Amino acid sequence: MNVNEQNEAMTTDVVRHVAKLSRLALTDTEIEKTIEDLSSIFSHIDKLKEVDTAGVEPLDHPTELLNRDRDDEIGATLSQQQVLENAPAVRDVYIDVPKVLGEGS
Amino acid sequence: MNSITEIRDAIKSGETTAMQIADRCFSAISNEPFNAFHECWKDEEPNSATGLLSGITVAIKDNIVTKTGTTTCGSKMLEGYRSPFNATVIDRLLESGATLVGKTNCDEFAMGSSTEHCAWGAVQNPWNRECVPGGSSGGSAAAVAAGLCNVALGSDTGGSIRQPAALCGIVGYKPTYGLVSRYGLVAFASSLDQIGVFSRSVRDAAITTEVIAGFDPKDATSVEKNAPNLEETLDGSIEDVKIGVPLDFLNDRNDPEVNQAVKNAINVYEKLGATIVDVSLPLTDVGISTYYVIAPAEASSNLARYDGIRYGHRTSKTGLDLFDLYAHSRAEGFGDEVKRRIMLGTYVLSSGYYDAYYNNALKIRRLISEEYAAAFEQCDVILGPTTPTPAFKIGAKSDPVSMYLCDVYTANTNIAGICGISIPCGFTNESDKPLPIGMHLQGPAFSDAKLLQIAHAFEQATDFHTQHPESHV
Repeated sequence: MNVNEQNEAMTTDVVRHVAKLSRLALTDTEIEKTIEDLSSIFSHIDKLKEVDTAGVEPLDHPTELLNRDRDDEIGATLSQQQVLENAPAVRDVYIDVPKVLGEGS
Repeated sequence: MNSITEIRDAIKSGETTAMQIADRCFSAISNEPFNAFHECWKDEEPNSATGLLSGITVAIKDNIVTKTGTTTCGSKMLEGYRSPFNATVIDRLLESGATLVGKTNCDEFAMGSSTEHCAWGAVQNPWNRECVPGGSSGGSAAAVAAGLCNVALGSDTGGSIRQPAALCGIVGYKPTYGLVSRYGLVAFASSLDQIGVFSRSVRDAAITTEVIAGFDPKDATSVEKNAPNLEETLDGSIEDVKIGVPLDFLNDRNDPEVNQAVKNAINVYEKLGATIVDVSLPLTDVGISTYYVIAPAEASSNLARYDGIRYGHRTSKTGLDLFDLYAHSRAEGFGDEVKRRIMLGTYVLSSGYYDAYYNNALKIRRLISEEYAAAFEQCDVILGPTTPTPAFKIGAKSDPVSMYLCDVYTANTNIAGICGISIPCGFTNESDKPLPIGMHLQGPAFSDAKLLQIAHAFEQATDFHTQHPESHV
């Protein structure tokens, strides 16, 4: 697929799919605006296709650090009350959420 | 507003006290017209610790978590959010005796270059209130420029400290990635984010950074180095220094007054005995595109945590299943720019596009990093404009791409993880309300002491940093 075909592919269906993956409930107007914005952004980003990257290893992090392990020791931790303090809905000592299993989930 | 050393001396001699300084500062913040602050902490207990920053008033960008007050990231998503812990930089400031004065407004989740995308309203530039202060740390920049506090913390993912510092006529310093702990900095793009300092002088930036820098086991990307001695080498001669200038940075994309100010700065360095060398950074042009793949990709992952369940905004709509609870909570809580970047990041990471966009951007990231390494074989620092233009009018950049291009000279610093600083180097010619112009210096990773020394030498030879906007408070 070349650059232009990808841009043309910024359709309502594609944007709806990306909105779903992003867990964003967008209105029809927002979908239309997103198509316009992303098309304009990608026409700029597509410059990247012109750079010769053959044989180049990706660099995902500037320091290329290795994993740093710590000793498996119990340290300071937050209390249950502190954790629940910012939750939007709490019942007893639990965070209240809609039903996720079984019928109607 | 005095320098840190002057305040230190004044407290030592008994001329003033930390309480008196704090009172003056809180009174200024309470009356500020710029919308720089989201919260003013005038009713908090005074800090009883003493140290390097005793009595120094420090404002905190609203994306750095504090047990005091709220941390909202300029977003309705986190309205009223109270952090159960302090960021490491906050603990270090408190241990050093600093007075934390409040939280400053920023673009939502640090995404923006104008501080217009803030749920609590746009921030104004103290030099001209019709103009933006830059962003995303615009509130911190405006606060220091207007003299509301001594220094301020910001965060810089693609220019969010240096660009507003340039537009507000102050010093904005992004340390090398890994030098300052990110523990407690609300994540935007973790491989690019770095906390740094706004100040009215390079020395104040050096002193404050010494306090907040250094290894932190709570940040897995924090480097195992002690905080560098940044202040003691500031006054060194720069006669043996080589300053690289990429000539194509002074192009017709920039405002002519910006180009002239940077050319004048090059002359100042020549007079100070530095050697100017030509360097070439041809990938600068694709840097911003690389940035707008990598940063949104990381953001789309980092911002997945805002699900309306454990903290943050939850939709009041009832009868929703779990998916719709997520989707509506997020659609209501996030503003347009954040949604746009989440969508962009999700797209470049999605099946079928990952290699074409994200992985390809990571390859270019290595090329950019290697291009810098080659340039730094010839010079100690690279000099250029911080931004293509001075501050623009609020509302002037309505399309996303034109806003993104504000960071064309700063984003690559983060992509390569090196250090950068913006310092004042001139003003526009408007006789009524001149706007500041900033110059950008970039140095190799962990050359921060040298970078600040070179910036300090320019500051000592010029008086741009001593000019301040007329007082509004």
